[in-house]
Amino acid sequence: MKKAIWKSLVVVMTSVFLFSCSKSTTTVVAPLSATTVKDLPADTIIGITPQGQPFGTGKFTFYSLEKNTIIANSDSATTKWDLAFNGTKILTNSGNSGSGLGGAFIQIGLFEELKTISSDSVFKTDNGPSSYAVTFGSGRGWYTYDPIKNLVTPLAGRVLVIRTASGKYAKVEIIAYYKGGATLAATAPDAEKISKQRYYTFRYIFQPNGTRNF
Amino acid sequence: MKKRAFYIIWACIILINFNSKAQMNFSKDSLGLYSDTVFVTANKSERQVKNISVPISMITGKSIVQAGNTRLADVLREQNGITMTSGFGAGVQLQGLNPDYTIILIDGEPLIGRTAGVLDLNRIAVGNIKKIEIVKGPSSSLYGSEAMAGVINIITDKKNTDALSANIRYGSYNTKDGNISISKRVNKLHAQTFYNYYSTDGFSVRPNSNNRFITPIARTTFTQNIQYKFTDKTSIDGSVRYNTENIKSIIAVANNGTTIYSNGNENNNDLNGSIVVNHKFSDKIKTKLNTYYTQFKSKQDLLTVSGNPYNDLFQQNFKRVEDQTEWKINASLNSIIGFGWITENVNSSRYDNIDSAKTNNIQYAFNQWEWNNGKKWVANAGFRYDKNQNFASAFSPKFSLMYKVNTQLRFKLSAGRGFKAPDFRQLYLNFTNAAAGSYSVFGAVEAQKVINRLMDLGQIGNLFSNFYQLKKLEPEYATGIHVSAEWEPNQSNEIQVQFFRNDINNLIDVQQVGNYISGSQIYSYLNIKNAFTTGFEIETKQKFAKGWTSAIGYQFLITGDKDQIASIKSGTVYTKNDNGTSRLLKLSDYVGLPNTSKHRLQAKLNYENTKGFYANIRAIYRSKWAVANTNGNEVFDEGDQFGAGYITLNYSMGKPLKKGWAIQAGIDNINNYMDGLNLPNLAGRTFYITLKYSTQK
Repeated sequence: MKKAIWKSLVVVMTSVFLFSCSKSTTTVVAPLSATTVKDLPADTIIGITPQGQPFGTGKFTFYSLEKNTIIANSDSATTKWDLAFNGTKILTNSGNSGSGLGGAFIQIGLFEELKTISSDSVFKTDNGPSSYAVTFGSGRGWYTYDPIKNLVTPLAGRVLVIRTASGKYAKVEIIAYYKGGATLAATAPDAEKISKQRYYTFRYIFQPNGTRNF
Repeated sequence: MKKRAFYIIWACIILINFNSKAQMNFSKDSLGLYSDTVFVTANKSERQVKNISVPISMITGKSIVQAGNTRLADVLREQNGITMTSGFGAGVQLQGLNPDYTIILIDGEPLIGRTAGVLDLNRIAVGNIKKIEIVKGPSSSLYGSEAMAGVINIITDKKNTDALSANIRYGSYNTKDGNISISKRVNKLHAQTFYNYYSTDGFSVRPNSNNRFITPIARTTFTQNIQYKFTDKTSIDGSVRYNTENIKSIIAVANNGTTIYSNGNENNNDLNGSIVVNHKFSDKIKTKLNTYYTQFKSKQDLLTVSGNPYNDLFQQNFKRVEDQTEWKINASLNSIIGFGWITENVNSSRYDNIDSAKTNNIQYAFNQWEWNNGKKWVANAGFRYDKNQNFASAFSPKFSLMYKVNTQLRFKLSAGRGFKAPDFRQLYLNFTNAAAGSYSVFGAVEAQKVINRLMDLGQIGNLFSNFYQLKKLEPEYATGIHVSAEWEPNQSNEIQVQFFRNDINNLIDVQQVGNYISGSQIYSYLNIKNAFTTGFEIETKQKFAKGWTSAIGYQFLITGDKDQIASIKSGTVYTKNDNGTSRLLKLSDYVGLPNTSKHRLQAKLNYENTKGFYANIRAIYRSKWAVANTNGNEVFDEGDQFGAGYITLNYSMGKPLKKGWAIQAGIDNINNYMDGLNLPNLAGRTFYITLKYSTQK
């Protein structure tokens, strides 16, 4: 491990040296590190209908990736937020969801390995309720829902590539949909599956300089 | 506690062993492999075991009785290379292939009435069984659909003497089992009657699950056989079997997290009837004309807490006429030609209309050639062609070869192709689950029609590309290759080793083809998967002095979905780390098909003396198996949910009393292993005692 660090350091130093000799002035950017958001509530369950449907207040939780903070619902019409969460539905500040420059698509691959958003990528925008930039539905976007075990499991190898409200870029990986940051066991009691659901844990990297590189 | 039970059993055995001063007698054919015993399933005609060139195994009626088994599922659970699966009853998994792919016969006639492909083998009472014959490997060349993994043929005891026997058994969980069998001979007429009653208060306790219930079950089976011999050349054989079962249950349906409990009553009936005319034209040519009818009827009534009744009805009829002619061309060559016609129809409340029967007609012909000059080589080749009305036709060839090195050692090689027809559910299902998420499943015949209609009504949100690939389903195919060696170095030892490889193509799988406007999923069936199972089986039997025998069986099994393996190799399958982040899945993480275990071991120790006292202990081990995909990909890997490997120990002993009476007692699952979630069919420790009476020795 240490060796690898040394090796890469040597490579970096050499390239810095080589490039600094050339005409173009390259600034060495500090690598971006991932931020983890834990247990973000997304319209958590407040009751159960007589028909047996658990329900929340129906409100979205708005989140700013740039500021790494929850945005008040009163600012839902602004460009202060980048993503909004309600149950398994994730909105971007785009299309008919918001007035921002947002958008998104889902890339199959590893979070770490997404270094550059390729220039031919197509960012989708929200056009609810028929289509969303972050595709909604089991097995289609970022999760699968098992109706028998009543569990939402994030799909492995899915990166949510996000264009923020201000037109900058971020990448997001959903880690869990249950309070505590881990998917519940299939054998967990139903009551726990109800009370702990709709809490997002995710990690993300936001690129503040406006480039498509992470 | 476990240890104490164990010691008590051994103390019993040793004590009784010391008491009996009797001499042991060895029956020469008890190991069976090289015997003259007749075996009918492999060639669809009676042949001696030593002349059969495909891998077979046989369970004698005596060993079933001595093990104290009452249902077919209990018998098969203890056999090498067989795993009993749970879910829709107790299904049989042969060499890693699902229950859908093994045909179950009673006296050569197929049983129907599968739920989600599984034929519940608890439905079959084993009180009147002479033997069970098992052929491993594709056998569709003789039996048509479903004989992909193999054939299990239950041969009932058709005594031709006057006899009466009865037994009654009582066991834990208030389990009662009673049999009466009568056989009577009047001149040229033989008749056998069998009656079985079984009931239990149930045991299925599932911790931490919605289904916290015990299911009380009552089953009744009645069988009547009549044979009439007109002359030495012509005979007629008629039989009827009726089985009915009632299952009471409390069913829990999870609806987005809340659970709705309902009181259910399930009633399953199956009726089988056959008339077989046998005629010998000459010493060289004989024919068998067989008419068979069977019906399976299942009814489920549910009354939910809110008072909403829910009924589920399923009725399947199967009619078949078959003629099979055997021609002994010369001393070493024999040919069988057969043809037949099957018509099947199904009514179900899960199809579009309960009153309109779905029908399928099949015409088929088969031909088999056997060559055996009584020396070193035995060869067998044959094929069957099935022409189906509702799906593509199937051609099933088969070839096998045996080389007898000497009387102690033999090698067998067999290769064949088997198929399984798409079932009615895969063709006609029209089911929307209003209780759980309102998803729909449409059979392949219905799907395009129904979805297009929904489209016109504006209910379809979007369709996937595989919707446009929906077409006439093709049968699923398996190509199997078996290589085996059988060695009997002396009268007291026997060893069998068998390698197998089954490649399954065209597997029918349920796939999402679109979404409703509401986002709910729409599924249908497509021929999309390719899989394999491979491994080996070893079986040894030993005879020791003084009536002790033992048997050990081991199966090593590797399975896999070929397309998934290709995806893993190409680096497009991911999995989750424990911390929830993703990584690439390595091939070494892949575990293959669900419900398959890599290792399976069973050992049996049996003691029997000349006075008829016997005692045996049987151990069964199964290693872990994947049950559910929980880590965010579609393949089964080490990070998923597994059923834990386990051992069960069964013990039984019995002794004849005076005047035709006998007594038996035993303990199943001595170590009380239970896994309500993954093994709902495995009862906890069960004690039982049986009293028997028979006019025959």
